Amino acid sequence: MSTLTEAPPPLAPNAPEEKPPRKKRGRWTPYWLLLPGILWLIVFFALPMIYQGSTSIQTGSLEDGYKVTWHFATYWDALSEYWPQFLRSVFYAAAATILCLLLGYPLAYLIAFRAGRWRNLIMILVIAPFFTSFLIRTLAWKTILADSGPVVGALNTLHVLDVTNWLGWTSGDRVLATPLAVVCGLTYNFLPFMVLPLYTSLERIDGRLHEAAGDLYAKPFTTFRKVTFPLSMPGVVSGTLLTFIPAAGDYVNAELLGSTDTRMIGNVIQTQFLRILDYPTAAALSFILMAAILAMVTIYIRKSGTEDLV
Amino acid sequence: MNTKDNSGDVRLSGISKTYDNGFTAVQPLDLTVPQGSFFALLGASGCGKTTTLRMIAGLEEPSSGTVFLGDQEVGHLPPYKRPVNTVFQSYALFPHLDIFENVAFGLRRRGIKSVKQQVVDMLDLVQLGEQARKKPHQLSGGQQQRVAVARALINHPKVLLLDEPLGALDLKLRRQMQLELKRIQTEVGITFIHVTHDQEEAMTMADTVAVMNAGRVEQLGSPADLYENPNTTFVANFLGTSNLIEAEVDSKSGDEIILKAGGGKLVLPEARCSAPTTTGGKVLVGVRPEKITLTHADDAGEIPAGRNRITGKIADSSFIGVSTQYVIDSPVCPEFEVYAQNIDRDSRLRPGADVVLHWNPAHTFGLDAAQDIDAGVDLEEEAA
Amino acid sequence: MAVVRWFKRHLVVIAGMITLGYLLLPNVIVTVFSFNKPKGRFNYEWQQFSLDAWKQPCGVADMCGSLSISLQIAVWATIGATLLGTMIAFALVRYRFRARGAINSLIFLPMAMPEVVMAASLLTLFLNMGAQLGFYTILIAHIMFCLSFVVTAVKARVMSMDPRLEEAARDLYAGPVQTFVRVTLPIAAPGIAAGALLSFALSFDDFIITNFNAGSTVTFPMFVWGSAQRGTPVQINVIGTAMFLVAVLLVLFSMAITNRRNKVKA
Repeated sequence: MSTLTEAPPPLAPNAPEEKPPRKKRGRWTPYWLLLPGILWLIVFFALPMIYQGSTSIQTGSLEDGYKVTWHFATYWDALSEYWPQFLRSVFYAAAATILCLLLGYPLAYLIAFRAGRWRNLIMILVIAPFFTSFLIRTLAWKTILADSGPVVGALNTLHVLDVTNWLGWTSGDRVLATPLAVVCGLTYNFLPFMVLPLYTSLERIDGRLHEAAGDLYAKPFTTFRKVTFPLSMPGVVSGTLLTFIPAAGDYVNAELLGSTDTRMIGNVIQTQFLRILDYPTAAALSFILMAAILAMVTIYIRKSGTEDLV
Repeated sequence: MNTKDNSGDVRLSGISKTYDNGFTAVQPLDLTVPQGSFFALLGASGCGKTTTLRMIAGLEEPSSGTVFLGDQEVGHLPPYKRPVNTVFQSYALFPHLDIFENVAFGLRRRGIKSVKQQVVDMLDLVQLGEQARKKPHQLSGGQQQRVAVARALINHPKVLLLDEPLGALDLKLRRQMQLELKRIQTEVGITFIHVTHDQEEAMTMADTVAVMNAGRVEQLGSPADLYENPNTTFVANFLGTSNLIEAEVDSKSGDEIILKAGGGKLVLPEARCSAPTTTGGKVLVGVRPEKITLTHADDAGEIPAGRNRITGKIADSSFIGVSTQYVIDSPVCPEFEVYAQNIDRDSRLRPGADVVLHWNPAHTFGLDAAQDIDAGVDLEEEAA
Repeated sequence: MAVVRWFKRHLVVIAGMITLGYLLLPNVIVTVFSFNKPKGRFNYEWQQFSLDAWKQPCGVADMCGSLSISLQIAVWATIGATLLGTMIAFALVRYRFRARGAINSLIFLPMAMPEVVMAASLLTLFLNMGAQLGFYTILIAHIMFCLSFVVTAVKARVMSMDPRLEEAARDLYAGPVQTFVRVTLPIAAPGIAAGALLSFALSFDDFIITNFNAGSTVTFPMFVWGSAQRGTPVQINVIGTAMFLVAVLLVLFSMAITNRRNKVKA
């Protein structure tokens, strides 16, 4: 007790004249904190969009240089020539997103509610593949889906390939170089981006809600349909966005696992920009892709009613 | 320590707080808390009690007025230069530091090198010597609360501010910690200012209670004084339960006021009436439920003369162990509450029975009838 | 009947494990084929077991050079993005200011934009400015797209932080700098670390944006991309396997340490 009853040690002497100008200094702090990062985003993200817009309405050639001539016809030409690739991108991305949701939901559910002490290990196994370059992992699918490999063999024996051939997803005895291979690769590449947000929103659900639903005469599947799934909607929305957006712009899977018949819009933009050097067309295509994605994302977020996602 | 020095006096002079959005949390307030006292600011949530505390701590800048500690004006000082420490609501223990470092935090910030002995002594005072190397989340709520007290007290503040320090504890632990805090305060002898919405907690612990409502102090005094002699309907209803009857002043005789209520007459000592009384004017007459005796109407003749009486019918009764609580339907007040100790229970006192309520006129208090008769009712439940 | 009931009860677990298998299968292939001795230039078909590639991980021309460039870029991009992103996150959570909505959208948009669009538009900027494509243009691009992820990670952490902790520090004689260093920063650290880790992974593995803005500089993913056309050396699998193992071991190691520390303290 002696420590407490002794005279208190002197505090910093407080001279009345040193009034700290707390308020004034604080007013500019947020702007200083924001300045470098926001400037970076403006110069290297927003400004390029404007440059891209301007490039898309230029005409000229590599040798003579390009000039802004408000040549909007580029957009029309690009669309009329490359609409199949646009459509294909949307279809492949949508298929991959649905597959990711179907495959990812059970896994996220498993980690959130059924994994017990294995939870951390499974989480590590979901994240760890990230550390192997995704290009190497995508190349591994060439081995897995090889024409003489066990997967194709099994699909052939089970006559699954007959069905997919009839649907136009595969051709002949091959899986590689078909739409199925590209969608399979896209699904694989973006699956973790579906599983992680799903897990985050499932994990927040109070386990007692399941018991309450069961107590109120809901069968397990009804509990899922009426309680679990609606509560996991934020995860479903952000998971589908995180899958669909990159999948729609991807060209790696189409290039490595597909053929010339599976080229997506990303492949076209890449070729136009880096090989053919037709900058206006490439910029116009990229601009259309951006506008389409932004429009779809906005409508989707509005429809699903989770605007606080942003 | 007990020599008369006033360096621990807290004096608020014209202090007020209006937020940027125009909401006035605290109306201009003058208040003196004497050195060494245990002072409670009591009120429902949003009444301005926490804002007042934060202005003393320096965490909130007053819109007007200033704060004195003893003779020193501290209103302009940032919190880290005020010799005042706070026990925060839900404790705000640093989760990344262990208990020892949490307690040593203030000493270290003031450049004190050898903190070990002081921290050990302090942890012993709050009976947590064993837990020094644990992290806050490994302790129970009561232990965390004691760490928060130790972390503040080790700095020998002139004033200790406690912001709902027991709010997160369960009832039993809260009782125990109330006594514990009271013991510590007596032991260290420094000024405690305690913010709470729990009237029982305030009355158990504090020497002086200030009841706050809508940014103002409604009444200030010792717990017994506030309870027996409320000045406003808010205090009467917020502190315990009061039966309030609207009555008309009939006449005065000596230091007593005679009132008409319903058909009957009630007597009110003038000293216990905070409202102006003119003949024919209205007054609210109050009486606490436990002061009332309940007699079955058949035995009305046995009631001694000189007591205030009201007739009614039992609407409801609930047995709660030490007492039975009755709700009486009476012509002057539809829900009259009466608490009767369970000594000799009259089996006739059942719902539907006609009864006479009577009490010593000295237990009657008078309030200004121009107020809301229900002010402060049920606020406590909302706040909790 | 018992089998059917067991199957029904564990349907979710079975489906989840199938997905996990789907996720891990390519890594198994990568690991197995790091011990292959392919016949031609491509390492897609199993021939025979060999330790050659593991003995000479840098035995392929330019591969380890590209790995080193990737690591350098990842380190600098992580430092830059973490610093700028943390500052923005603190400003967003702690202060009120104008144009808040616009700034929030500016941070959200890069995450909602297909990489190829960002890559292409950044290239038009660099072309228009006549910038020399290479190490620095890659670094600029990587900091740009990592920034938003850092902001999101740090913001979540700072937002969930109890503001009373900082008040408690100020109440306990810590000035503004001390409060930040002793309380705010340590508590925000897990969020900052998560943002930094994510930045490193994103930068190290980025291909699309790098491909557009690299000029003649070759990062590791670009080396792999090129080799898919020219011929895939086994050493690529060795690097992929090694990084996977290092990551898993690091995580397990840190988990073991936390477990042990908790046990000792409890």
